[in-house]
Amino acid sequence: MNDRVKRWLEDGTVDLFLGYKMIMGHPLPHCFVKEKIEEVNDLIIGPSRYSLEKIATHIAAVKPDIKIGMLARDCNQRALNVLYIWNQLNPENIRTVNVNCCPSSLKEHGDCSYLEHEAAGSYKKQVGIDNNLQPENIEGYEQSQRLSRWMYEFQKCIKCYGCRNICPVCFCQECSLEHGELVGTGALPPEVPIFHLVRAVHMAGRCIDCGLCEDACPVDIPLRLLYRKVNEIVSDGFDYKTGTDDSQSPFNILGDAVTLEPKPIQPAKTAN
Amino acid sequence: MTVKRITFLQELLAFIGLEERLHLSWISSAEAQKFVQVVTDFTEKIRELGPNPLAGYSGIIKPPELEPASGFGKDQVAQ
Repeated sequence: MNDRVKRWLEDGTVDLFLGYKMIMGHPLPHCFVKEKIEEVNDLIIGPSRYSLEKIATHIAAVKPDIKIGMLARDCNQRALNVLYIWNQLNPENIRTVNVNCCPSSLKEHGDCSYLEHEAAGSYKKQVGIDNNLQPENIEGYEQSQRLSRWMYEFQKCIKCYGCRNICPVCFCQECSLEHGELVGTGALPPEVPIFHLVRAVHMAGRCIDCGLCEDACPVDIPLRLLYRKVNEIVSDGFDYKTGTDDSQSPFNILGDAVTLEPKPIQPAKTAN
Repeated sequence: MTVKRITFLQELLAFIGLEERLHLSWISSAEAQKFVQVVTDFTEKIRELGPNPLAGYSGIIKPPELEPASGFGKDQVAQ
């Protein structure tokens, strides 16, 4: 692999290559360039991961024509797909070296820092939401329980913006989460559940289920689970598989004619 | 576009536990009767659902009324 990267850098296939290098004992994202080609020997692959495609997006925003090579797992590939669709990156300028990823029926061995979340403690299981659950498990809870469980999780938020900052598909110049009129500023916890719902809504048609947001979250909010539900709604309701579909997202303004009808008012299910 | 977003949001809110509190209807300025009908129906429904559980939210919602997890409270008392 390292020889291939060297060859690419030398013959100009790519101008720079994004990978990982061990720095002070930590595998950190690193940009390898032709001028320091000997560094490529230190290029490593391992379970740690980072949204390299986000770095690529930032670079491409400044230099649109630069050719970028990067290591890519399956989640990186899905994120790249989404970024191509949203015109953040030009597929002609991106070359990837595919590396091993989550285990599946095709791949038994996987290198990933986040295959399974650590088991939830008993208190979290009682009043919050176990990060290892699936959306259908949550739907099994009573409606009022669902609300209080989610609110328990959201209230822990310290508004570090870690989920947004790590997210490979968060590329907006202006972020609604920093907009004082949309989400109140200056208080902790942030305005819940608005803060998290705004983010969840913006993940529709974008989230590629890499789990980096949950990985980054210092207070263990089951964000991946929330966005999985988001993806489920998008795939069931709009027949769009985010990350693998190469068509525009259903939430693109220049979409097709809409055939959906507004739902009629149903009689209330529960009388509180 | 609106109908897509609202349909999506209805499902998302239901998942969070705020079911059926969002409604979308297209009413022309010439359809006064339809407007009255929709507003009356929806008001009636919201009344049945009761007040918004997040109304007057002041920072902390009490966890559901459950027994403390086994050992959680006891240990603290014992120490």
